Amino acid sequence: MDLLEFARGPALQTAAYILVAGTIWRIVGIVMLKEKADYSEPRGRGGFFAALKVIWTRAFTAEPFKKATMYPKMMAYVMHIGLFATIFLFTPHIVFFEGWMGFDWPGLPNSVIFFIGVATVISGVALLVRRMTSPVLKMISNFDDYFSWFVTMLPLITGLLIPVRVLFQYEDLLAIHILSVALLLIWLPFGKLGHAFLVFITRGTTGMVFERRGART
Amino acid sequence: MNYTPTVGQILQAKGVSRRGFLKYCATTASLLALPPSMIPRIAEAIENARRPSVIWLSFQECTGCTESLTRSSSPTVEGLIFDAISLDYHHTLQAASGDQAEAARHAAMEENDGNYLVLVDGSIPMGNPGFSTIAGISNYDMLMETVAGAAAVVAIGSCAAFGGIPGANPNPTGAVSVKDLVTDKPVINVPGCPPIPMVITGVLAQFLTFGAIPDLDKHGRPLAFFGNTIHDRCYRRPFYEQGKFADTFDDEGAKAGWCLYKLGCKGPTTYNACATVKWNSGTSFPIESGHPCLGCSEPRFWDKGGFYQPLSTGHFGSGAKLAGAAVAGAALGVAAAAAGRRRQAKFTREA
Amino acid sequence: MTSSNEIGVQAKAMHGNVAPILNEVMHAIDRLLDDGIPTTIDLASLPFAPGELDELEAALGTGELSARLDALGTSRIRETAYPGVWWIEHRNVNDEVAGRYLEVTRLPEILSSQDADIMAGRARLQEQFGKASSGRKTT
Repeated sequence: MDLLEFARGPALQTAAYILVAGTIWRIVGIVMLKEKADYSEPRGRGGFFAALKVIWTRAFTAEPFKKATMYPKMMAYVMHIGLFATIFLFTPHIVFFEGWMGFDWPGLPNSVIFFIGVATVISGVALLVRRMTSPVLKMISNFDDYFSWFVTMLPLITGLLIPVRVLFQYEDLLAIHILSVALLLIWLPFGKLGHAFLVFITRGTTGMVFERRGART
Repeated sequence: MNYTPTVGQILQAKGVSRRGFLKYCATTASLLALPPSMIPRIAEAIENARRPSVIWLSFQECTGCTESLTRSSSPTVEGLIFDAISLDYHHTLQAASGDQAEAARHAAMEENDGNYLVLVDGSIPMGNPGFSTIAGISNYDMLMETVAGAAAVVAIGSCAAFGGIPGANPNPTGAVSVKDLVTDKPVINVPGCPPIPMVITGVLAQFLTFGAIPDLDKHGRPLAFFGNTIHDRCYRRPFYEQGKFADTFDDEGAKAGWCLYKLGCKGPTTYNACATVKWNSGTSFPIESGHPCLGCSEPRFWDKGGFYQPLSTGHFGSGAKLAGAAVAGAALGVAAAAAGRRRQAKFTREA
Repeated sequence: MTSSNEIGVQAKAMHGNVAPILNEVMHAIDRLLDDGIPTTIDLASLPFAPGELDELEAALGTGELSARLDALGTSRIRETAYPGVWWIEHRNVNDEVAGRYLEVTRLPEILSSQDADIMAGRARLQEQFGKASSGRKTT
């Protein structure tokens, strides 16, 4: 078994098991926790719509913070949209998902994906620089933040290196790329990357709690 | 040591003009993927090269490699046999048989001790020597006896180079490659199923011209022919970049000649010269006739998943195992939540 | 042999191999004019799409001079419509194409009579009409 066969066979398979088990573990574990009793008088209904409202409004910056957070917010959007496009609109990836799920969807030309990938890396680096230079961010960042950044960027960078053929041959670069994806999948449920599936749960919960207490959301 | 004329002398004796010789050198340079500026050096080298004795051994093989060799157009196999090499043993092509043939092999080995080339096609069965024998001699014994006095060994075809189809899972004969057995001599691998005819003769021409083992890659293949992937030299590469793919063998994309990546093309991970040297005297190659590359010049290509499975598909087990992982995750989650609730209860009581 | 053009597989002109080669030829002409350095482009080393080689040949056209060489098979040496740019096609004894080149030069080397051949020819001449010879050394 060569490196590529190992990467796309046992390595990716094991990573997928860990991803699925870990994700469900965390979601079930959180959802089934007992809600803390709130004895205050409710000032709003705090139901499902309150949750949806905050999920929607938190997609944008509140007016007072707009100027201060413009730059990181834009970079974060570029990075997230870029990640979405490179993962789900690159034809070899679509072929991968099709092999797994049985259906496909149209992709973007590879040269466009390459350009988006480079933009995504640049935004990622910009965000890292900001994290390492801003006094507040520096203080609240821990190993999880940096490692999560690292495992997210690694598949992106190794993927971009494949057509460029730097240091290694195509098949070795592809194997390294897949292994880096496996690392990402393994880490995803346990660290801060868990926001991939927790983001709307946390925002929704915040929305319900806040509205019940009468906070403006 | 008997007198061996140089290739230059042989060509001269045959009345080949200097112009003809220059032409020969130009096509050789082209074949070896050398820049035209190298032609004078090639001319000088070929003029002074001596015809080596060649012994060709066929083990567990289908004769496809020999069939391929006889299709070589430049140099032609006749040209090669008569002008450039002395093919002293090849049990498919030679007239002699039985004891006579074996005597020819031994004579060539004795006369050219330390200088002859051994070409091998087919893999060697290590399970039971009776799986494949020639003149009652097992493949292993014949190989080891013959390579003992060789200058170098050339493994022709994927069977000799990597074990090939006899070595494919479950490998019933215990087939191994030449390189698995010959460790004290230089081994040049010329894989392919079969190898491109011009590549077989090209490797021989390269050895003759420069009298040295060419630069090899990590799988022992000459870089002159196996230095680029099919994908890198494919004329359909622009379609890959543009995202234009054939989805089936008879859709509009296939008719328009778009990229065959989605149909399982192994071009990106396959090192060979098909895309430029092509087949049938430069007529076309598999991708040009609409079929994805199978990756036949790569080690164990039979066992690398389906020929029509795209390169980027994962090689997973069943979805049942994923479901199992989900159930396990759910169980862990319930247990974690229960533990959390107990802690919550304890905390509330204490507060 | 049936080429893939004839069996309905079409891949037209979108590969764009012709334009960069013509551009390279233009630079080679500059090199020849400015520094006197000839250039040879080995067309066999380039991945052409079906029909693209014909496209290149048509783009370069036919010039004033063409020659046929009979040595180890025939070769066609033809000046294109652009003086100094030669289309050279070597065929082997089985009439299969063994090499295709674009040479940017004043006269392809292979057209000149070669010293070795001239000497061999002189020797033959002397053998046949020996009496007229001055006895000059022939090797």
